[in-house]
Amino acid sequence: MNTETAKRVLIGKVGLDGHDRGAKFIVRALRDAGYEVIYTGIRRTPEQIVRTAVDEDVDVIGLSLLSGAHNELFARVADLLEEEGAEKIILFGGGTIPQKDLPLLKSLGFRRVFTPGTSMSEILSALEEEIAGDK
Amino acid sequence: MDDLVDKIRKGDRRSLARAMSLVDQPGSTDRKLEDRLRQSTGKVPWWGVTGPPGVGKSTLIDTLLGMLRERGRRVGVVAIDPTSPLSKGAFLGDRVRMMRHAVDKDVFIRSLATHGREGGLSDAAAHCARLLEGAGYDPVLIETVGVGQNEVDIAWVTDICMVVLGPGYGDDIQVIKAGLLEIPDIVVVNKCDLPEADRLLKEVHAELGATPSGRSVEIVSVEAKSGKGVDRLLEKLLELDADARTEEQRQRHSHRRALREVKRSAMVAYERALERELAGSDGQELVARLERGELTLESVLARLSDALTEQQRQVGEGAG
Repeated sequence: MNTETAKRVLIGKVGLDGHDRGAKFIVRALRDAGYEVIYTGIRRTPEQIVRTAVDEDVDVIGLSLLSGAHNELFARVADLLEEEGAEKIILFGGGTIPQKDLPLLKSLGFRRVFTPGTSMSEILSALEEEIAGDK
Repeated sequence: MDDLVDKIRKGDRRSLARAMSLVDQPGSTDRKLEDRLRQSTGKVPWWGVTGPPGVGKSTLIDTLLGMLRERGRRVGVVAIDPTSPLSKGAFLGDRVRMMRHAVDKDVFIRSLATHGREGGLSDAAAHCARLLEGAGYDPVLIETVGVGQNEVDIAWVTDICMVVLGPGYGDDIQVIKAGLLEIPDIVVVNKCDLPEADRLLKEVHAELGATPSGRSVEIVSVEAKSGKGVDRLLEKLLELDADARTEEQRQRHSHRRALREVKRSAMVAYERALERELAGSDGQELVARLERGELTLESVLARLSDALTEQQRQVGEGAG
């Protein structure tokens, strides 16, 4: 019987793009790494994502977006989390995000932003580090 | 603790979510939170939704949520998915089908992993359902993992039990097998538009019409995604729901639930203590002595029992 409390991760897709293969790949990898993963499905609003994250009391949110609207939508998610008093949730972002936008996203509260080509092991290490750092 | 319960009663979602995390810690036997709510809950019927994997449980709940909301009900949902026996991780994929209700303030959906518990539910499922009731949700729905023939825990926990089946369940022989079809108040044959659904419906009628026990089981045919037939299902559910609120039924379910809770919690506490003991050098030595033929199994168990009693005594002293 499991006696360790598993960490809960929400993988959310905001924006209008319907490409979910990457998100599902990450979901599987996280599950195999021992996380409890909740997936929102595609085309969700920031409101749906934040509400889900709070109700499910997740430790981490991984936002995926491939449509280019990351600056607005990621910012909206960050804002809503602050309104909810949920800034403690670790925020990761991923997708087709150009390097020049990374500083802005970091300033919004995104601990890491993963661009295409990032390996899964890099993502998992980053996750472990951030979680350990918060303890 | 009182503060948390107060906030939950007043409708604070974050507190409710936090409380659910507290009760979901594996091996936890701290039930102070539920004890606080025990007297004021037990009045709202809990509806169970179970059935094989992929049959449409989550989709059905999504549709029912919409209809219940139209009737002004505030609905709580606990949805359970299996923890991987290998990685100890889980994919909690029920609520993905209920996302249109995500921002409705009168709906609360919580996903839970089984943490290795068998039977279709998790240790925390009933506790989370009670928290939802305490927060004012009525009814509270519990969705099990995709079950096989034998996982019928849901029947002991809920007031109304729905078993959902779909085409491909099996032939006439399969339907006679004991287990899943013995427990429901309502059998829902989903995906009724597919071929084979008709045949399954007939088999289920044959099976449930033949039981001499006199228990009447409703059988409803639906197409959950489109909502076809679900209004009829809801009518039947609401009838059962009204019956479940009579004093007689309420007491019966309450007693059954309390008995199960005591058994479960005692088991969990025992399991934890046993694992601690067997992880230690004394425990390991006992197992080795069994292997060497120095002790009989009965002897080993007797010594373990003594060791666990001693463990309890030390814990008691430590707490005193």
